[in-house]
Amino acid sequence: MAELNMLLEKLASVVGNENVSTAEDLLSTYRKAGTVEGGEPLAVVRPADTREVRELVKLARAEGYNLVFSSSAPPRLRGDSIPRGEGIIVDMSRMDKIVRLDRRNKVALIEAGVTYERLIPEVDKLGLKVLMPLLPKRGKSVLASCLEREPIIIPKYHWDMTDPMLCTELVFGTGDLFRTGSAAGPGTLEQQWAAGAAQKNPMGPAQTDFVRVVQGSQGTMAAVTWCSLKLEVKPEIHRIRFVPDAKLERLIDFTYRALRPRLGDEWLILNSYALATMVSEDPERIPDLAGEQAPFTVVYGVSGYQYLPEERVAYQERDLARHAQAAGVSATAEVPGCSWKKMERILASPSPEPYYKMRPKGDFLDIFFLTTLDQAPRFISVMEAQAERFGYPTQRIGIYIQPIQQGRNAHLEFTIYFNPEDRPKALELFDSASRALSEAGAFFSRPYGAWSDLAYARCPDTVRVLRKVKDMLDPDHVLNRGKLCFEIEGVS
Amino acid sequence: MALSDYQRDMEGCSRCSSCKWVPFNQIKSWRFAKNCPSICRYNFHAYSGSGRMIIGLSMLTGRSELNDHVAEIVYRCQLCGACDTACKVYRDDIDLTEVLLELRAHCVEQGFLMVEHMAAIDALKREDNVLGEPKAKRGEWAEGLPLKDINRERCEVLFHAGCRYSYDPDLRDTVRGAARLLLEAGLEVGIAGAEESCCGGRAYELGFRGEAENYAEDLLSRVKASGARILVTPCADGYAHFRYLYPRMGKEIPCEVLHITQLLERLILEGRLRFREEVPFLLTYHDPCHLGRMGEPFLGEWKGDKLQRPMSMKRAGRKGIYEAPRNLIRALPGAELVEMERIREYAWCCGAGGGVYEAFPDFASWTARERIEEALATGAEGLATACPWCVRVLRDAAQEMGAELPVYDLVDLVLQAAGIAEKERV
Amino acid sequence: MTTATLETWKEISEAAYRDLENAVGAENVSREPAVLDGYAWQPTINDDPAKWVKRPVAVVLPSSTEEVQEVVRACNRHGLKFKAFSTGWGVYSGPTYDNVVQIDLRRMNRILEIDEKNMYALVEPYVCGAQLQAEAMKRGLNCHIIGAGPACSPLASATSGWGVGWDGVYMSYGHRNLLGAEWVLPDGEVIRVGSCDSGLGWFSPDGPGPSLRGLMRGSTGALSGLGVFTKCALKLYPWPGPSRVNVRGLLLDAKAEIPENVRFHLCFFPDRKRLADAVYRVGEAELGYLATRTAVAAFIYTFAPHLLRRIAGTRCLRDVLSRGVKWGFVIMLVGASEEEIAYQDAALRRILADHDGLSIEAMGVPAIGSMVFMNFFRVTAIPMVFRMGGLFSTALDRNDTWDTQLDWAEIGESIKRKWIERGGILDDLADNPFMALYESNMWAHCEEIFQYDARDPKHLASLEPMFIEFSVAAIEKCMEPLSATDARLRKIVSPLMGHYNEWQKKVSAMVDTNRAADTGMYCDEVDFDFSKVEPELKAKLDRLVERFRWTEDGPPS
Repeated sequence: MAELNMLLEKLASVVGNENVSTAEDLLSTYRKAGTVEGGEPLAVVRPADTREVRELVKLARAEGYNLVFSSSAPPRLRGDSIPRGEGIIVDMSRMDKIVRLDRRNKVALIEAGVTYERLIPEVDKLGLKVLMPLLPKRGKSVLASCLEREPIIIPKYHWDMTDPMLCTELVFGTGDLFRTGSAAGPGTLEQQWAAGAAQKNPMGPAQTDFVRVVQGSQGTMAAVTWCSLKLEVKPEIHRIRFVPDAKLERLIDFTYRALRPRLGDEWLILNSYALATMVSEDPERIPDLAGEQAPFTVVYGVSGYQYLPEERVAYQERDLARHAQAAGVSATAEVPGCSWKKMERILASPSPEPYYKMRPKGDFLDIFFLTTLDQAPRFISVMEAQAERFGYPTQRIGIYIQPIQQGRNAHLEFTIYFNPEDRPKALELFDSASRALSEAGAFFSRPYGAWSDLAYARCPDTVRVLRKVKDMLDPDHVLNRGKLCFEIEGVS
Repeated sequence: MALSDYQRDMEGCSRCSSCKWVPFNQIKSWRFAKNCPSICRYNFHAYSGSGRMIIGLSMLTGRSELNDHVAEIVYRCQLCGACDTACKVYRDDIDLTEVLLELRAHCVEQGFLMVEHMAAIDALKREDNVLGEPKAKRGEWAEGLPLKDINRERCEVLFHAGCRYSYDPDLRDTVRGAARLLLEAGLEVGIAGAEESCCGGRAYELGFRGEAENYAEDLLSRVKASGARILVTPCADGYAHFRYLYPRMGKEIPCEVLHITQLLERLILEGRLRFREEVPFLLTYHDPCHLGRMGEPFLGEWKGDKLQRPMSMKRAGRKGIYEAPRNLIRALPGAELVEMERIREYAWCCGAGGGVYEAFPDFASWTARERIEEALATGAEGLATACPWCVRVLRDAAQEMGAELPVYDLVDLVLQAAGIAEKERV
Repeated sequence: MTTATLETWKEISEAAYRDLENAVGAENVSREPAVLDGYAWQPTINDDPAKWVKRPVAVVLPSSTEEVQEVVRACNRHGLKFKAFSTGWGVYSGPTYDNVVQIDLRRMNRILEIDEKNMYALVEPYVCGAQLQAEAMKRGLNCHIIGAGPACSPLASATSGWGVGWDGVYMSYGHRNLLGAEWVLPDGEVIRVGSCDSGLGWFSPDGPGPSLRGLMRGSTGALSGLGVFTKCALKLYPWPGPSRVNVRGLLLDAKAEIPENVRFHLCFFPDRKRLADAVYRVGEAELGYLATRTAVAAFIYTFAPHLLRRIAGTRCLRDVLSRGVKWGFVIMLVGASEEEIAYQDAALRRILADHDGLSIEAMGVPAIGSMVFMNFFRVTAIPMVFRMGGLFSTALDRNDTWDTQLDWAEIGESIKRKWIERGGILDDLADNPFMALYESNMWAHCEEIFQYDARDPKHLASLEPMFIEFSVAAIEKCMEPLSATDARLRKIVSPLMGHYNEWQKKVSAMVDTNRAADTGMYCDEVDFDFSKVEPELKAKLDRLVERFRWTEDGPPS
């Protein structure tokens, strides 16, 4: 206890007393998330700037403590910010400056604590829009979402896996400061801006791309204090359409046809239950509403921009209609319980509170991974078989398919909704289904919790090199100790 | 000229590797995108046009020395000119083929010779042909044909059969047929018979320049004596040397020089040769290097800085003979032409040229097999060409491969369409 | 950069040579000096007047990943280094040490897979851009072809080089097109980057968790300094045109059958501002399959260098070309439907009208459109850069906004003009930028091209002073100069950019305990000999270094 008090004092010397907390109600939010349990948060500290972050890392190295960075508000869903064993939580929410917005170059520079809720209206004022994942938590850090490779809902803007994140400032586990992309210099950000630059080149500097090593690392390689973020133009005209169909294969065919020539803006595929969960704020209504939907629905948007917006929308709609006809499907402006206008609002905002996936039963677990669109039906069959095995009604599983990288692959997400008291059963299904899906070829590219064992068992060569990288960037394992494939002795 | 005269050309190599590829506008597939048999077969950069230039530069600047291995690299090349054409798409200041020829002359000067080439040159000196066949039998192919003997009388058209047509029994009917077609058209055709000798081009390509000059003198005197207004040959090698090498050596032939395909095309257009029978094949056509890109006439010697050389004086293969043989195929009743991917200036070589057939028969055959593969990929029922060396090596390759692809000398197809001499048809 | 001589070159030991023979077969190894010199002559983008780089001690031609591994292991055993290349274009391909085994990957030349639906190809190193494009087109797809031209290896640019190209507006950048790679590390072990390492196919390049793609390269690749890439999956992009574009002729005589869904506009604006603004609008409207700013003089230089030589001496024509039609922009539109191409064309015209721009519809001019189509579509005219004098080099700063790249074009032009007047380089009217937009103008690229004749001693003497002048100009603009290939510049620039090379050295040490990779173009540092640099320029560089050098707390404000 004395040791802890000494540590708290040292932490306070970095961030100030008022920014060190051991309040139980706060610490409890870092004990479990998703399927990850058993975290032992010792304190929550809230640094104000990069200097303090670096001091914290140096202190952690000196004292041998584990730092777990967290930028978003609860609820915590994946477990990446739950310490494995003891840990000091570094809450980045005080670093919430929107440092710069640049209309001409369509870019924002934001600190880690900036949430979608804060950023969207500011960006909107400039006639721009933020590239968002589907219904992020209201308190979700934009930077954290990017670091987690959460898929954005407009595949044509998803050129590469780092999108929409561009340049970053990193504090490695060594305590060293680093900047990536064209932010690296020469010069300060201000000097670069004065020279016309806007931190838009996401690569480098030079011959490494540490942002890619840090992205997806669940905070095990570096803390990220700020990033530049690409923004896109807000359409002059925007319409949402639905393509409901009984056969997922037809919708996938339609999706391939449409995404190849980059038709549409937003593009996602939902099954009836996931769609109903999104559009109905009344939990009681969700089962019936799901029953009224087609088994699967493509939701897409078309846009016209500054120049000839009507003409753009017109050609897109004509071409999409042709592709729909060829695929044997057709588009509508509404589905039961949701007009296109309503869907437009849903897709443009973070989730209302409580988080929308809580609506049906109060709790949920997601299983998601990457695959290609054509493989999605096969994985759905695996998941349905698992659900049946555990007596979970298959029609109550949420299915969300998000094409990414301009349609070259897809994020496939299953959601198991359950009453909190049924958590053990849900966990059984989750574990078994995760294993079955992994065996069937699911690529758990974001291996939270137990998925890391499944994912890394398949790629021992990658693990060998990743461990060396970890030892280079975080030699004392002070960053989110024991996560991913970086187990260390004595920490379970 | 000497190798050192081309040092600027060699130093100009940017090592861009364009010389290894079909000119990029014309790449149509992964499979048939490359143009140089030598680099494709042996893979080290030294076996490319660029690589050989670097060898030359390395030797000239004292970085490396000529030895048997290096000489063999120099000789494992058909001198097909594909690298030069590809290079000249972009460059005015590099004459790649000339560098390759100078390298060979340099090898000969330094005494680095291939045994097989020496045998060919010995045969040439002894019998006036590279095959080593008796000189006295050179005119036997024409026995019984009403051709004039230019050693005794004058003629309108001097027919130069060339070494391989004169002696290859498999091509005997073809060369006789070529003469018969001209006679059929009413031309007064003369030959030199046993007095005909090699054009000397092969000797030049092997690095023996003195011999080549002698043969050029020899031919010029015969042409003058014959009074012919046209010199025609079915041999693409001979054609190229008459049109390019001889004028370059200052030996301008004092009459029109035509390849047999050009003359046949003209006779058909003039209505002097008519087709009577069907040749119902889907045919593809192989451009012989010496008729195509290397068959371009000598455009004059540019004396100044080659960077300033006008396009019109750049030997880039544009004025080679490409249309005449194709027009002949198109004119054949019932025949249809389907093109391979590598054609015209960027055609893949048959493999026989540059002394490769003599010294490295396996490499010649490998190269020819690649061409057969390309022809088969078109779906053609037959492969036509217009050079005896191409016919020989392609026919052998097709046979080795067991390919069901007859290889025709274009003259044979014309004979069939013209309905001439049943026994001499294909 | 190495001033290469043969003084320190030594023959490979018999034992090492035998091991190489065992690795790849005797017929696929050579130690013949004349053959080795084929790998030591690397004049392109080589600012060293010598033009010869270090001669390798041997060259090997592996045919498989396993053979590459064996070669690399042999190098480790015998204290040799290795340097691999795919098609060998440019000085980056050559060795920088005396004891290097050159790995020529040309026997690994297959397209292993084209996944038409998911739009990617799995390729080996010696597949060139033109080959991949030809095969992709048969499936309604296309590939990013880099500025160095269609002879270059898409694998090399995606894994190890840069990846710039005119089609970047629609087809992105080499590094960002990578979906997975097979990588022989400097110790001979092989890893695969992305989903392929999990045996799950080549569709995803990152993870599980952190991405090793970030280790293998940055905005520039490690140029074999971190191992050898033996296959990779690359994104393909839609090509809604014919499976083959029929072309007669080779280049300047080319007549191409231009597809109906293609439009090609050569646009001119009255000044830089209106050009800059219009291009921002083009990006926002998501127009363009290919896009570049190319000065008209550069066009003439590309297609008619003899004519340009004459123009260069004609003052009035010079002025017209240098000023009157200076602010030009080339854009090719491709539509997947009649309606789409009509929309794109109309939107572009509206943007032009709003910015006082004019367009020549080049496709409508038979001689021009027909000739230039393949130049842009397949980048076939690029080797014309060698035509004017035999060689060229380039002044590169780091990519960022379109505005910064227009600045760089002007800075480059002014530096070039000075050297043209001194007779230090050839006269191309100075304004000859290679520019490209990426991902609908998410960022942009500019490099200033200059031509010279390496056979002219005055030109050779200009190269290094120009190189340092361009570098100083880039640093002054807060931009990274072309430091990736130059161990001298790396030493100067790294401390101004977060000491990035300290990390690169650590990465190198991490995967290469025996120092078997040739790291001359990755993390080596060498002192610059400033004896030939003007004192004022050196002083300016010193001031900039002082101003920008990172402290413990980051960049000094």
